[in-house]
Amino acid sequence: MAVMARGPSDTRFIVAAAVTAVGFLAVPFIIVRAPIESVMGPIQKIFYFHVPTAWMLMVSTLVAGGASLRYLFRGTPGSDRVALASAELGILFGICALVSGPLWGKVAWGKYWTWDARQTSTLLLWMLLLAYMLARTYGGPAARKLAAALALFSAANVPLVYYSVRVWRTLHPDSSVVPTLDPRMRPALYLSTLFFLTLWGVLLAYRLRLERVRAALAELEIAVEDAEEAV
Amino acid sequence: MTRLIRLLSTRIAPPLVALLCALPVWAQEYEPVTEASQPKTDPSPFVIGAYGFIWVAVLVYVVVVARGLGRANREIEELRRRVDAASRSA
Repeated sequence: MAVMARGPSDTRFIVAAAVTAVGFLAVPFIIVRAPIESVMGPIQKIFYFHVPTAWMLMVSTLVAGGASLRYLFRGTPGSDRVALASAELGILFGICALVSGPLWGKVAWGKYWTWDARQTSTLLLWMLLLAYMLARTYGGPAARKLAAALALFSAANVPLVYYSVRVWRTLHPDSSVVPTLDPRMRPALYLSTLFFLTLWGVLLAYRLRLERVRAALAELEIAVEDAEEAV
Repeated sequence: MTRLIRLLSTRIAPPLVALLCALPVWAQEYEPVTEASQPKTDPSPFVIGAYGFIWVAVLVYVVVVARGLGRANREIEELRRRVDAASRSA
């Protein structure tokens, strides 16, 4: 099988996985070495991985929405596979953001969850991705277009999540906190974001590989059944 | 009908109007976080817990995908054996 053979794509994948492993070891040290924020204290360090995971949720949703749009108009199975893999990563990074945020909130606000506009809209976005996965898992091939429409709806929800802190009065810090960050804190955030972006790319490639193997398996099953019927 | 209108206007409408008037007040209520009310909690378990959760979630995801890949590859091998057997019997 072509998908099982080793080739240049495997080499790229191994290099990217190695970079991710190095990041896994390096990023915590960089975060620990970043200065302690004067008001919130050490709990602010959650920021360095809570923000990138939330961004990866948004990136995943936008990629899933874009791929679904392509699938709806052109019907390319590859776009559908990208949408599925990306939506799955959105659920993964979404749960990371939804868990790390309240842990910060418990120390900073005294409460894990306040039904703040950013928290609530992020939870809704995450639940939309979950609805997409449920439609894909239990709806069968007929539900693929319905799921694609759900992914589009999720992608349209991303600006709402991003601007929720500006539209409504919330406890959650504004999105503009990043440009106003102390210059000594920026390397930790930027490196952490770069690392999470690499991790996202590696996981997407890995998940797409599984989908390609499954597609090849489905084709092979049909070919085998045809061959056995002919015999 | 007149009794119903009288009932609505005297018994139901006044408390309903009072409730609706009170709603914006509830919506504006919030619990201000002052320095004194901020809990003096040790943040280390929260920071380590958040970072640990992310890594456990990613590792679990990688294991689930790896198992799916292994299962699909085994099924492909099984199908190949069936194809070989079918071609030999033919």
